[in-house]
Amino acid sequence: MSKPLLKIEGLGHVYGARRGLFGTSPAFRALTGIDISVARGESFGLVGESGSGKTTLTRNILGLERPSEGHVLFDGHPVIDLGRGGERRLRRRMQIVFQDPQASLDPRMTIHDTIAEALVIHGPDLGIARSGYTRRVLDLLEAVGLGREHLYRHPHEFSGGQRQRINIARALAVEPELLILDEPTSALDVSVQADILNLLQRLQKELGLTYFFISHDLGVIRYTCDRVAVIERGRIVEQGPVAKIFDTPSQDYTRKLMDAIPDPDPDLSPLRRLA
Amino acid sequence: MALLDISDLHLSMRSFEGETPILKGIDLTVERGQIWGVVGETGSGKSLTGLTISRLLPNTTARYTGGQVLFDGKDVLRAGERDMRALRGGRIGMIFQDPTTNLNPSFRIGTQMVDAALHAARDKPAILGLTGRESRRARRRAAWQASVALLESFGLHDAEDRMARFPHEFSGGMRQRVLIAMAMIGQPDLLIADEPTTALDVSVQSQILRLIHRLVEERNIGVMFITHNLGVVAQLCSHVAVMYRGRIVERGPVSKVLKAPEHIYTRALMDAIPTARAQMDTLRGIDWPLRDRIEAEIAATAKEVTA
Repeated sequence: MSKPLLKIEGLGHVYGARRGLFGTSPAFRALTGIDISVARGESFGLVGESGSGKTTLTRNILGLERPSEGHVLFDGHPVIDLGRGGERRLRRRMQIVFQDPQASLDPRMTIHDTIAEALVIHGPDLGIARSGYTRRVLDLLEAVGLGREHLYRHPHEFSGGQRQRINIARALAVEPELLILDEPTSALDVSVQADILNLLQRLQKELGLTYFFISHDLGVIRYTCDRVAVIERGRIVEQGPVAKIFDTPSQDYTRKLMDAIPDPDPDLSPLRRLA
Repeated sequence: MALLDISDLHLSMRSFEGETPILKGIDLTVERGQIWGVVGETGSGKSLTGLTISRLLPNTTARYTGGQVLFDGKDVLRAGERDMRALRGGRIGMIFQDPTTNLNPSFRIGTQMVDAALHAARDKPAILGLTGRESRRARRRAAWQASVALLESFGLHDAEDRMARFPHEFSGGMRQRVLIAMAMIGQPDLLIADEPTTALDVSVQSQILRLIHRLVEERNIGVMFITHNLGVVAQLCSHVAVMYRGRIVERGPVSKVLKAPEHIYTRALMDAIPTARAQMDTLRGIDWPLRDRIEAEIAATAKEVTA
């Protein structure tokens, strides 16, 4: 097997005891002994309930938190203590799309400026001149299913699904290798969610991206990912190929999450009232 | 007599650009013991239908241009504000999508629960076991005790202790339980639930669905459950009405509609759900070509009706 793009070894995270306005909060252990390895071109899913540690893990991968134990390696190199230049270079190779498409766009900036901002910062590394920004933004919009007419509009003129497409375009602007998707569809309608999931699948095929896909919905994970890790209270309880985990889950917790997926077949419902 | 009988409801919203028709002839009947799933995408008018029943739309912008909404035989569109206030929280309970914004962050849970209970008890003192002649203090005590008992029965442990806490100390699922308790404390006959599980994790969602199901079993209330997820409808509801751009395009018992959907739009919504069985490349969103076909089919049915 080739060298993994993302390697997490023995990662633990403890949020320290803090003295605040209303007293001292005790130390809280958010992650324990996380081992994950994501190969290049793979789609890796992380699933767990709220409070299971998904976000803390993401922040550690992005280098936004310092792990209490263990380490995160991106392409063989640690993601913290890189200095300004090193951090910028890492950010170009690793991007994230957040859950709330509204909150992650600046309401005062046009779509062109939002996406071009990434190019202003990373343009030199990418070899894109200032005169080429608009061309590049147009290509990106087209890749995510938007067009020229959207170029100079503001975020409020778009639907939730379109906004999430813009966020994806912005993340792809710097040609990243790893895309972290933090619940990218949980704020969307089911019909729009299907579109976004299909878009992500297509982009991965075309651009050879690696996905780290976080969700609480096992249905979404099954549809999008090759391998999955199930996280419960800061520990990975199960990890493996999606088909295997789904067909023969070894943990009660995984089974519980699977049973919770609302299936559109009424015969599979434990609650349905006979009409 | 049906508990809720909406017939040919038309609603327009006014703005600077003029008047836009939002609901274009909604017919819906909800009986006791039924859970009606009202399904549709953002903008289909499902939430406005729910808000109409309790008349929560601002009358400066919302204009009812036709039809009637009979609750227990009484037309709520023509009822006075006084009567409506007695209905809301008394005979009609409501829960909404975001459990955080629906609780006041600066008041304790208990204070907010007791307020809701006392409001409902103004017209129906019996729900707190009162006759209506007790002192203010006695009423408060009764409201407190009823709130604790209800929260306990909803699976909130140490309810007495939790009543003294603030909303930020609760998880999303717990907040939604509190809001359902606030909606149910007046012992309503009809519960309107507007996407109550959309902001929650799937596992918490299934607990909330179980809770609503239990309420219908125990109290024989009618429920209007608004959602965009047909999977949730299949789990919980007895009946379903599928809405598209201000109209109901298909309706009937869940076992019939979801087993053999007749309308192209219902099928499209079903194809969009990622189930535990979904394989790669099988999901289908609602793209523009498909939307054109849906519009065409709706136009064709409309023509048949007029012909």
